[in-house]
Amino acid sequence: MSRNQVVFGLGLATALLAGWVAFPRALYSKRPQPLAFLHKTHAEKSGVSDCSQCHAFGDDGQYTGLPPMETCVGCHSGKIGTSTAEATLVDHYIKRGVSTPWLVYSRQPANVWFSHAVHVKRAGLACTDCHGHYGELDQSRIYEVNRISGYSRDIWGHSMTRLHRAPGDGMKMSDCEDCHRRHSVQVGCLGCHE
Amino acid sequence: MKLTRRDLLVWGAGAAAGLPFTPVPWKLLDDVSIWTQNWPWIPQPARGPVEVKQSFCTLCPQGCAMKVRMAGGWPVGVSGVNTNPLTRGALCPLGFGAHQLNWHPMRLRTVRHDGVASSWDASQTAFVKACNRGPVVIVDGHPGRAASSVFESFTEKRGACLVAEGPETGALVPYENWSDASARALGYDLENAQTIISFGAPMLDGWGVPGRFTRLWAERTNGVSDPQLRLIHIEDSCSRTAAKAWKWVSAKPGSEGALAAGLARVLIEECLVAARGPIPRTTLAQAADRTGRTIEEIRDLARTIVAKPPVLAIAKDNNPEVAALNGILGAIGARGGIVRRSKLSKACLSREGPISNPGAILIDSTVPWDFVPQTDAEIFRFTAWDGGSSRAGWLLPAPGFLEELTDVPTAATSVIESYAIAPQLAKPTHEVRSAAQFLASVDKNLPMPEQIIHRRCSNLRRSGRGSVHAQEITPVAKFESGQKLEEQLQAGAIWIGDPLRPGGWKCEVKEWPQTMATATSEGDWSASWSAPVLPPLATKLYRESKLREAPARRTV
Repeated sequence: MSRNQVVFGLGLATALLAGWVAFPRALYSKRPQPLAFLHKTHAEKSGVSDCSQCHAFGDDGQYTGLPPMETCVGCHSGKIGTSTAEATLVDHYIKRGVSTPWLVYSRQPANVWFSHAVHVKRAGLACTDCHGHYGELDQSRIYEVNRISGYSRDIWGHSMTRLHRAPGDGMKMSDCEDCHRRHSVQVGCLGCHE
Repeated sequence: MKLTRRDLLVWGAGAAAGLPFTPVPWKLLDDVSIWTQNWPWIPQPARGPVEVKQSFCTLCPQGCAMKVRMAGGWPVGVSGVNTNPLTRGALCPLGFGAHQLNWHPMRLRTVRHDGVASSWDASQTAFVKACNRGPVVIVDGHPGRAASSVFESFTEKRGACLVAEGPETGALVPYENWSDASARALGYDLENAQTIISFGAPMLDGWGVPGRFTRLWAERTNGVSDPQLRLIHIEDSCSRTAAKAWKWVSAKPGSEGALAAGLARVLIEECLVAARGPIPRTTLAQAADRTGRTIEEIRDLARTIVAKPPVLAIAKDNNPEVAALNGILGAIGARGGIVRRSKLSKACLSREGPISNPGAILIDSTVPWDFVPQTDAEIFRFTAWDGGSSRAGWLLPAPGFLEELTDVPTAATSVIESYAIAPQLAKPTHEVRSAAQFLASVDKNLPMPEQIIHRRCSNLRRSGRGSVHAQEITPVAKFESGQKLEEQLQAGAIWIGDPLRPGGWKCEVKEWPQTMATATSEGDWSASWSAPVLPPLATKLYRESKLREAPARRTV
């Protein structure tokens, strides 16, 4: 093997290593949620069995998104544990009447219009079809934000290649299109974009 | 081992060769494209409570019904209204994206005088001075609105009000010569026609009420080999209308009149129609020569068009020979043809005649950009978008899409009498004034459009005619008051008049006409303007489309 071939191979290997290992780590920065919220604990201790018990639909059918502080106050009007998160929730947010600034994993660009009511109520999709099984996690997830686009890693999905992904891993436009294609639902550009 | 420059280059080549096999270029491409969408100077739809309101499109005089999705008080999406009896959910492409026009880079945000930033006070002072120098001419693009009444009140003693009419109305002008009806009192009974032969009219590209015909065509024609509605399109190139039509006949440009004459001759000679009329002087051989079709093809076309009556011929502009063909086809004053509309739809135009030396010309924001008056008078042009007019001394920022309350009277050429109100749904981001507001600041005695709309609703309620179409149909007589009726209309309902009864209109073609160019009188500034092809909007889609190719017509 000539010297040139070796050096060329070294360059190739450097690019592959940098691209597959270093780049994904450099691209995303990690931010902790303001509170360590445990979906599984809430489901087990408070008897919440369905996502819509907290992530509810309003009277007009519109999805209300993250539960308001009043929902938390129902149980957390006073401290019901000794954890740091409990103290932060009660002292910093509930007592001061400030909403918890959650970092939303599924936040989409502002020009995207998505109706939970249509997808969940009319089409009968399960929450996990798009959001994955986060409700079963027993630890708080780290929020990874793309340094360039500013959106969560959950939008692209955790696999850089986007191959062999689990259901609910990724919320790109192509994921919407794939699902619509599978269900033979035709929507024009303006069905989702404002 | 010593590293050389050559090693570095080879290493770089290896790295470059390896890079495409990593996610770096592809992921960066995706992320950078998203990053560019979120630059701080790019307007973003508001986040907030979502609500859906109903309104009407005011981009062209046809006023298609639209559902406007509002987020945080701002329009973020537009779609059609299925319950609207005229458009039944259809909209033109421009309408679907209309909520974005208010953020167009060419949005006019300040008063400009001769290209330099100025103020509303300065423009008002200049307008008063110009009014003192001579008569005022106001040019209106959407006649019949409450604002149009304000214009007429202002010009009653000070000048004249002109109307820039679209090619749809222009195509009805020939009938004026054969009857006592004005072109604006006529319309096309598309709903009852079974065959439409279009001589270059862009029927599926925004002609007339864009939503009305698109929906009609989609319901009766789309995907059916022998549709209920046959659209035969004559045009030299394969436009979108030609491509979608049931039958496209390619003819040489400008030969529409000759083809109409040829068809009329065949219809009469072969006794294909019951109606009698003048035989055209054009022979079949001449028609074939001018159109580029063979005699047999013209004969076949004539037999085809009468195979499924009622038949209606529609010209793209003022073409007397196409109008005369309607006479031969028996389509004048008949169901599915050219019919006379109700009196309410008639234009309320000043009748003083052209003014040769106006002191000031005020152009409403509804007038297309291509309207360029050739005059020395001072021009005050209201517009929401700066379309680049070089002739207007004063450019005055007008309300954009859904930024002002306006009413939507019966669309030109529509035989279905209607009245609707488009409420103000969007807040202007800078100081804007409509032409009516501007005039009201000059003459305090002028009625405001809001007052006129109140009056019109009260009059409608008093007349007891027609019904209001919302989710349910309610006869006007059932409304307690004009105010209740207005509230319903403000919420997106539409008033529809009683069904038109064709007939009772005499229009006789005694002699076969010869196609002639639209007459313009020398010295009349208002006649010598170029074709208003485009509305004062600038979406790429609309600019590149062939919408409204034909020149519009002005009437005095």
